[in-house]
Amino acid sequence: MATQTKPQSATDRSEAFKWSMVIDLDRCTGCEACVVACQSENNVPINEESAFIEGRAIQWIRVERYWEGEWPDIKARFIPVLCQHCENAPCEPVCPVYATYHNTEGLNVQVYNRCVGTRYCGNNCPYHARSFNYWEPVWPEDLRNQLNPDVTVRSRGVMEKCSMCVQRIRRSTRSKTPNDVPDGSFDPACVQACPTSAMTFGNLNNPDSKVSKLQDDERKYHVFEHLGTAPTVMYLKQVDTHGA
Amino acid sequence: MGLTRRQFLKWAGVTSVGAVVFNGCRVPDHEIQIQSPVELPEDLVTGRDNYYATVAQVGSGSEGLLVRVMEGRAKKVEGNPDYPLNTGKHHIRAEAMLQATYHPDRIKSPMVRIAKGGPFRAIGWPEALERLTKILSNADSASVLLASGPTRGKLADVTKRFATGYGAQMLGFDPIDQAVLRASIKNIYGQNALPDFDIARADFIMSFGADFLGTWIDPTHFMRGYGEFRQGEGRERGHLVHIDSRYSVTAAAADEWKYITPGSEGLLALSMAHTIISEGIGDRAAALALTGGNLNHLSNYAVSKVASQIGMSAEGIQDLARKFAGTRGRALAIGGGSAGAHTNGVFNLTAIYALNYLVGSVNVPGGVIFNPPGSQSRIDGAPLRDWKAALAAMRSGEIKVLLLRDANIVHGLSAELKVTEALDDLETIVSFSSFLDETTSRADLILPGHTPLEEWGTDVPDVGPGYRTVAFQQPVINRFRDTMAFGDVLIQIAGELGNSMPWNSMRDAVRADARDLHATNRGSVTQPTFEEFWKRSLERGGWWDQGDTVSGVPTPPVLPRTPVQAQLAGDSSVFPLHLVPFESHSIGTGQYAHLPWAQAVPDPITTVAWSTWVEVNPKTAEGLKLKQDDVVTLESASGGFISVPVYVNPATPPDVVSVPIGQGHEQFTTYAAGRGSNILDILAQNEDSDTGSLAWAGTRVRMTKTNTRVGLPKLEGIQEPRQLPGEPVIVVFKPGEADHGSH
Amino acid sequence: MYYRRTLTEAQINQQLLGTVLTTPLWWIVLFSILGIVVAGTVGVVGWMFNQGLGVTGLRQPVFWGFFITNFIFWVGISHAGVMISAILRLSQAEWRRPMVRAAETMTVFALMASLTMPLVHAGRPWRIFYWVFPYDWARGIWPDVRSPLVWDPIAITTYLTSSILFVYTALIPDLAIIRDRSTGWRKSVYGVLALGWHGNPRQWKIQGFAGILLSALILPVFVSVHSIVSWDFSVSLVPSWHVTIFAPYFVIGAVLSGVSAVVTLMIVMRKLYKLENFIWEEHIDALARLLIVVAMAWMFLFWLDLVFALWLKEEQEITVWNLRMFEPPWSWLFFIFFMFSYVIPVSLWMFRSVRRSFTWMLWTSLLVNVGMFLERFLIIVPALMRKGPQTFTYATYRPSPVEFIIIFGTIALVCFLLLVFSKFFPLIPLWEEKEGQLLMDEVKVGNVYVPAMVKEH
Ligand SMILES: Nc1nc2c(c(=O)[nH]1)N[C@H]1C(S)=C(S)[C@@H](COP(=O)(O)OP(=O)(O)OC[C@H]3O[C@@H](n4cnc5c(=O)[nH]c(N)nc54)[C@H](O)[C@@H]3O)O[C@H]1N2
Ligand code: SF4
Ligand code: SF4
Ligand code: SF4
Ligand code: SF4
Repeated sequence: MATQTKPQSATDRSEAFKWSMVIDLDRCTGCEACVVACQSENNVPINEESAFIEGRAIQWIRVERYWEGEWPDIKARFIPVLCQHCENAPCEPVCPVYATYHNTEGLNVQVYNRCVGTRYCGNNCPYHARSFNYWEPVWPEDLRNQLNPDVTVRSRGVMEKCSMCVQRIRRSTRSKTPNDVPDGSFDPACVQACPTSAMTFGNLNNPDSKVSKLQDDERKYHVFEHLGTAPTVMYLKQVDTHGA
Repeated sequence: MGLTRRQFLKWAGVTSVGAVVFNGCRVPDHEIQIQSPVELPEDLVTGRDNYYATVAQVGSGSEGLLVRVMEGRAKKVEGNPDYPLNTGKHHIRAEAMLQATYHPDRIKSPMVRIAKGGPFRAIGWPEALERLTKILSNADSASVLLASGPTRGKLADVTKRFATGYGAQMLGFDPIDQAVLRASIKNIYGQNALPDFDIARADFIMSFGADFLGTWIDPTHFMRGYGEFRQGEGRERGHLVHIDSRYSVTAAAADEWKYITPGSEGLLALSMAHTIISEGIGDRAAALALTGGNLNHLSNYAVSKVASQIGMSAEGIQDLARKFAGTRGRALAIGGGSAGAHTNGVFNLTAIYALNYLVGSVNVPGGVIFNPPGSQSRIDGAPLRDWKAALAAMRSGEIKVLLLRDANIVHGLSAELKVTEALDDLETIVSFSSFLDETTSRADLILPGHTPLEEWGTDVPDVGPGYRTVAFQQPVINRFRDTMAFGDVLIQIAGELGNSMPWNSMRDAVRADARDLHATNRGSVTQPTFEEFWKRSLERGGWWDQGDTVSGVPTPPVLPRTPVQAQLAGDSSVFPLHLVPFESHSIGTGQYAHLPWAQAVPDPITTVAWSTWVEVNPKTAEGLKLKQDDVVTLESASGGFISVPVYVNPATPPDVVSVPIGQGHEQFTTYAAGRGSNILDILAQNEDSDTGSLAWAGTRVRMTKTNTRVGLPKLEGIQEPRQLPGEPVIVVFKPGEADHGSH
Repeated sequence: MYYRRTLTEAQINQQLLGTVLTTPLWWIVLFSILGIVVAGTVGVVGWMFNQGLGVTGLRQPVFWGFFITNFIFWVGISHAGVMISAILRLSQAEWRRPMVRAAETMTVFALMASLTMPLVHAGRPWRIFYWVFPYDWARGIWPDVRSPLVWDPIAITTYLTSSILFVYTALIPDLAIIRDRSTGWRKSVYGVLALGWHGNPRQWKIQGFAGILLSALILPVFVSVHSIVSWDFSVSLVPSWHVTIFAPYFVIGAVLSGVSAVVTLMIVMRKLYKLENFIWEEHIDALARLLIVVAMAWMFLFWLDLVFALWLKEEQEITVWNLRMFEPPWSWLFFIFFMFSYVIPVSLWMFRSVRRSFTWMLWTSLLVNVGMFLERFLIIVPALMRKGPQTFTYATYRPSPVEFIIIFGTIALVCFLLLVFSKFFPLIPLWEEKEGQLLMDEVKVGNVYVPAMVKEH
């Protein structure tokens, strides 16, 4: 089934789409449905026990848990952290081979077949969003049946990270104009799975999209705003009723 | 020297021009566009994908699924947006279930073992079925026990019919059964089905021991509501109070988390009830009913009398009671989990659910909403009491043949009960499982079943959405291994044993149910012809009827006048710590331990994966000179002990230790075997006095340091993550404070 | 004024060419040992390529560790050659003569060792050429010149090329001498390499000019190389790397470690090749005094870096420095680094007797380089461990045996290459020594000694 579309010009697409995600920390329970959905959708290697012990677990989205206070006045807070798709991405200029670069739809993309594994981008990503394949991922023969054919299976020595499920974006927007892509017509795997609907995905260039409307939310913030990385992934602050 | 400078300038010039050229011009997108093979020019992605709707029982929950299938292989499990319970979302276990189908250690064909303890030999299905028929026709049917994991829908119906028709005994098995919860719901609301909890529309939720956002009953469904409860459009943000002995994700999500003396949840609820009634702030009719007309009926629970037993201040209880009774809108009380896992389990849960009457939250939006009783059967986990009797019958020879379906009793029942010895006394064990778990590996004959993605069935969810719902399970792929659906085996064997069922196969059976639904001519799918109805409802994943609800509020029973105390097993001077086991959010009670994705997803609170750990309060750890990763032994009065590494958890109460259930498998595939330890083995085998369920939260233990240390496989880094005040990752929003900058 | 040891040309030839024309037993032993270590390391590297970088101690988020440390370390060592040769040659420091060749050669080999490191460290070394060389062939895209990782190979290969030229130019007269003293195939090989050198005045003039010219050309390269290497860090967003002081700080640090390495090499060489007549106490005394100055300049920049960090009161910067300086085991490494590369050697070098003791100088110069390795390690690793405010991801790094083997392997490699080089070429330039001897000759005029020869330039 090869429907090859003519590549649209770069400007076309950049005016059409700018993908963004908003994560409401007040809804998120830290359930990690997003984590497993992403593993599954994106052929993320199985993190064996040794991967955790060695500190090399690969998760394109991970749920970080921070403690606050001491017992009995204690609180755990969760935040799902994925690539923030910085408009001013520090990981990009340091890559010698353009394996990571910005595409015209506002995404920081990672092209595995170009990556030589210098890991400089990993050092320079302030969000720890990048994971490196220290070992060749092990896929038992039978389990390969479940691999997503839309996503490259990475080899050892390659950097990987959240792609905003670019394969879904491509499938859903190929040869379409923004009008053919209504808000919410498709979602990345994590957004789709999130049981509390903490995550919202959409096109910032569409003023009627949910993500566009959330730009004005009084709880909106970027993680590490002061770094000037201008993330496209935004968060809504967790509401703290302590003492209320 | 001049030459040098000139040369230098020249090269500098060339370089900077080059740099400008490279920098200035944007890299044309199409040149490095291969971000996904979807867009490879050669179009290397071959084949078409298709989505099939089905349903799966995930833990106790029911999730409608859409499975992406490509070239005959299931690729991705997604939630079915139409299905009323999970509306497009899904649990990690549902996702991980995909790996059961393609599991490298899945049993590939029927197997038989000629000599006890000898090796298995692969056989074909005709021989397997013949052997099974022979075993059953030779056996005295009363000496056959059919043990099944919790099952709903058509398969439960078929299983029960088979057992009845053949005359076998039948027991459901679930390491953590819900008998206490069901009994309490029956007691207080008179309902046979579990009610729905309308979290989305509640304003104030008090949850007692029920980790409803993590593991309790149907977390995906409850999380759907929770998202709305927090930030739903057009409503005030809800307030959640969670009472539990372990700091779970529900505790973390709560606005207030309170730790009270384990087992005193019922006391707290009744004390709140007493406050509400005596202050006259609740529903008067309900108060009269609950007290049998004597408003002083609950005086034994006056805050002054019970506060110290509960471990809360009198004002604290009163405050909760007042908040519950109306200062915050629609209130909802939920109880379960550890609150029901004591010898006084039914007492506790009955008291908790009675609170809903006092605030008028029974069968109304934002409260407890009743579900119509399912038209189909259910196999629930039988209480411990029944299993103890069954084991005794195995030993005495009353039971000679055991048929197993997803009932791993060797792992799920305590070592104290010596299950393996009882199994050794049996003549024949037949297993229908797809994996060699501890119990199946002792079988003489294995007839491996399909995985949920390969078989036909229905599900009548329990908890349901508040109206009648029947989900259809259909094979989304052909069977991957030489397996046969358990239901089909039963239907076929029943015929050969001379008590045939009205259907030829599970598909037939499901279609028969669909015919009944079609005949109602109402609900989510109505079609003139049955075939159209069948097609449409399979596409939608099922059929539901929002009009078919339960109406009316029952009259509540009178609450018990005298408190029932929880009996903890173990003398507190010898066993100073209260053991609170908890279900793993991913591997459940162990039934998902063979799935690598489930194993590899970190526990949200501790971030530990792949193993067992014991959560210890920092002060307690300090007192015992324990550090993270130190291995300790936990010993209970039953004499059993396990060795586990310590996770120092700042949210663990000082006199409590918590251990996840689910690991400690001796077998059950390479992903589960030899990993961690099984906390169920050291639980005191105390029962809830009403139902006979295992009082799994009622054991005291002693913790002793060993000289071993291990590296805990966890996601968090080397230091306890605390946010840096100047540069927080998670920014909080204090209502009332105008805060527009990030920090 | 140096204590003079007058040697005849014949003596110089005989003593300096001894190693080339004969093969002592120790040479064979050392050659075999180092050869085995190098071959073993190559095997280990091959194994690592086969297994993946999992065999190292690297983990998230410490993406760089021993290999990059080693890379910087050897680039640093390579700064000796130019420092000694070019600067001292341009400034006409007489005492440079016995050291220039060894120092330049070490530069070349150290650079080669350093160049192996990015290769060894890359996740997919078999694709390294996509990065190092322009490779527009089928991919429609050139390397990203914004990346310091593209600047590095350019800088280092430039430096390597010029250093090789530098060594070679200075080697030509000596090659001719060997050619004249050998027979058979050796004679023809050296003959080709000597480029028809006959020592006529025109050739001397060109050779001398080329030497000076290369010295001048190589200086900016020398400064740029370590500056560029330092920009690998400065250009990043990593706290405590993102500092403007890094370029000069790295260059001076490189000179410190490079010159120390030259001291070590001179002393070892003197012992092994019995060069007592050429390498004197005065030489290492002079080097030690140079080292004192360099070390102090370097320490000044080091404190400046620290002061900048404290001055800005940036939380993240301070976190990293705090880890480096006060949290074990990093604080221990920091202490060792500080004592080894500065406090102990510099205070000892204050004493003339130390400066003139080959034993003391051998050990102090070695200390400096142990310390300098740790310094690079402490720049890289703690910064990555505490990269940002996400304390959730804070991790540690412990190099694995594989990394240790590869580090020692590169040391063995450089020694091995020097040893092999010494087999084929004199480690001390004969012609420079002879020129020195001529310049040293003095005649007594009345009560004073005056040089017998005056330099022409
Ligand atoms: N409106 C206006 N804008 C101006 C100017 C103006 O006159 N008017 N002036 C312009 C001019 S001339 C200049 S120079 C720029 C200056 O602008 P910047 O270059 O931004 O200068 P700084 O803020 O001094 O330094 C930037 C950061 O670099 C880091 N840093 C730099 N060096 C070191 C170091 O050695 N050690 C450590 N630890 N950290 C270091 C610190 O994190 C510091 O916060 O501003 C320009 N912007
Ligand atoms: S979050 Fe990290 S990886 Fe993602 S764009 Fe920003 S810097 Fe790059
Ligand atoms: S690891 Fe890969 S993507 Fe990252 S900088 Fe190196 S080559 Fe580029
Ligand atoms: S957007 Fe896609 S790739 Fe990114 S974290 Fe979510 S599921 Fe993973
Ligand atoms: S799935 Fe949603 S609620 Fe769960 S951890 Fe991810 S973002 Fe949070």
